[in-house]
Amino acid sequence: MRTCRDLGLRTVAVYSDIDRAAPHVRFADAAYLIGGAAPAESYLNGDRIIAVAKRSGAGAIHPGYGFLSENAGFAQAVAESGLIFVGPDAAVQRALGEKTSARRIARDAGVPVAPGTPDPVSDEGAAREAAERIGYPLLLKPAGGGGGKGMRVVRSADELAAAWRGSTGEATTAFGDARILIERLITNARHIEVQVIADQQGNVVWLGERDCSIQRRHQKLIEETPGPSVTAELRARLGESAVRIARAAGYTSAGTAEFLVSPDESFAFLEMNTRLQVEHPVTELVTGLDLVALQLQIAAGERLPFGQEEIRRDGVAIELRITAEDPYAGFLPAGGRLTFVREPLGPGVRVDSALAAGLTVPNEYDPLLAKIIVSGPTRLIAIARARRAVRETIIAGLPTALPFHAHVLAEPDFVAGRYDTDYVATHWSDARPPDLNDTAAQAAALIAVGLQRRTAAAADAAASAWTRAARLDARR
Amino acid sequence: MRYEVRIADTLLRVETTADGRALVDDAVVAAVVTEVVAGALWSVTIDGAAHEIALLGRDPLRLWVDGIETRADVADERAVAAARRGGRKAGGRVEVRAPMPGLLKAIHVVEGARVEAGAPLVTLEAMKMENELRAPQAGTVTKLGAGVGATVDGGTLLVVIAPDTRG
Repeated sequence: MRTCRDLGLRTVAVYSDIDRAAPHVRFADAAYLIGGAAPAESYLNGDRIIAVAKRSGAGAIHPGYGFLSENAGFAQAVAESGLIFVGPDAAVQRALGEKTSARRIARDAGVPVAPGTPDPVSDEGAAREAAERIGYPLLLKPAGGGGGKGMRVVRSADELAAAWRGSTGEATTAFGDARILIERLITNARHIEVQVIADQQGNVVWLGERDCSIQRRHQKLIEETPGPSVTAELRARLGESAVRIARAAGYTSAGTAEFLVSPDESFAFLEMNTRLQVEHPVTELVTGLDLVALQLQIAAGERLPFGQEEIRRDGVAIELRITAEDPYAGFLPAGGRLTFVREPLGPGVRVDSALAAGLTVPNEYDPLLAKIIVSGPTRLIAIARARRAVRETIIAGLPTALPFHAHVLAEPDFVAGRYDTDYVATHWSDARPPDLNDTAAQAAALIAVGLQRRTAAAADAAASAWTRAARLDARR
Repeated sequence: MRYEVRIADTLLRVETTADGRALVDDAVVAAVVTEVVAGALWSVTIDGAAHEIALLGRDPLRLWVDGIETRADVADERAVAAARRGGRKAGGRVEVRAPMPGLLKAIHVVEGARVEAGAPLVTLEAMKMENELRAPQAGTVTKLGAGVGATVDGGTLLVVIAPDTRG
């Protein structure tokens, strides 16, 4: 929406019952209610969204990065309604959105993929057979969607039954598709992804990589570019592979090719995200490009305004996902009412957020509250700015991942750029909150006592009011 | 009035006097407290050291202190005296409650089952994710509060565990 305003375009927001006060609704030029809180009634209801777009006179629909952003059926319905879908067309989404065919495209383009089932599996017996053939440890991945939902690690045969139940259950809820792909799990791997962008004239460029290895439940918490352990040689190989896949698929708009990179720098293509990603700002900060603006220009039929050799990347950018989760309780998500919010400011800090005091964070949607994105000329400067930004941030009313970020930003292995996808398991499980210094503890104690006295005084006032009322009653 | 305040793992004795001064651990503290945002944010200087404190949540009281989130427990002198008289209540039962509203997808234990600390108890689906709630300590499941498929509110009692009796 900010990009649209920069470009002089008007915006129309859609919202569900419980999102009336959400920032996107307040920020848009027009806003339409599309249904109840349950995603199926609102944000997943493509027909209603298209109807609203038509009624409002919109020319194009940007699907964002959740819900219908990777739904080929929706992209097709938008195109058939005469509107422009900002993103790759339905055929490309179908080819790359289904993990099986995405792997086939990659293999045919000469890009390595992890050993696994060529086709999705839909019953436990077949899964067990495939598992024996591929060998443990394994990864179960829903065929119908991404975002880490429904993914399970299986280390041995006796873990398969429970993992199968969890994976198919979550896949059915999230994507309406219980089919699962089984892949060999690459251990000590880094999750590195490459941003590509392509126009309708067949020009494809890559805009650098992002290291997204710091994850919990296969969902990203921290992303940075450039990858601290990515050599120039590896970067070039990854970039070239991503472009080859995009070309082979006839890709248009912004997209991301995800890879797992082993310690020996061999890599395997995982999947292509056929949409803008949550972590796209880090790429914007080092390239100086506005990816949403490029998406809109490409959707309007314009050519990419630059070639591969004109792309400059300066400095380092790091994104911290601030989720409504308790990091001390296994990242358990928890909604609630925000009572007070202070967002960070200052040099090198950008905040993409939906936070405001008084807002209720619903339990129905993803727990992502805000993204703090920092940049700097060097990685250490960016990390220092990230520490400062996290220290400045206050989010009161519900637990958040902020203490996790504060810990990681001061943790030697992270600071040295030594981390892989096991980082959260190996570096957070026994973390304790840092100690307060003497005067900080004294100050906290004074405020705690002050709050206690206020509560007690309010209770006394209520009690004496009740006593007075009772006396008046007695006199009647 | 005297108070015992536990900030994280540190116990501090705080005394407030009628003339508005404060003593911490029997020493007068030269503290200047300014309420910056009513009921939400305070600036406290102690001997020139500046601290910012925000109220994150109540029950239990959680404070943000210079970027660090911490628990704070306050007991006034009556509560402290009562606790001393009553002695420590050891080995009370443990209640596992829903930390958020959600759908109870699965129950992994039955009443009477013996569980180890960390054993999965129930699976609660919320925010499009399945969350396994685990036993905070070892013991015997004495009660299940809701059935599979139930939609529960935050705070709903799900499982009661009676800890092992020692000895």
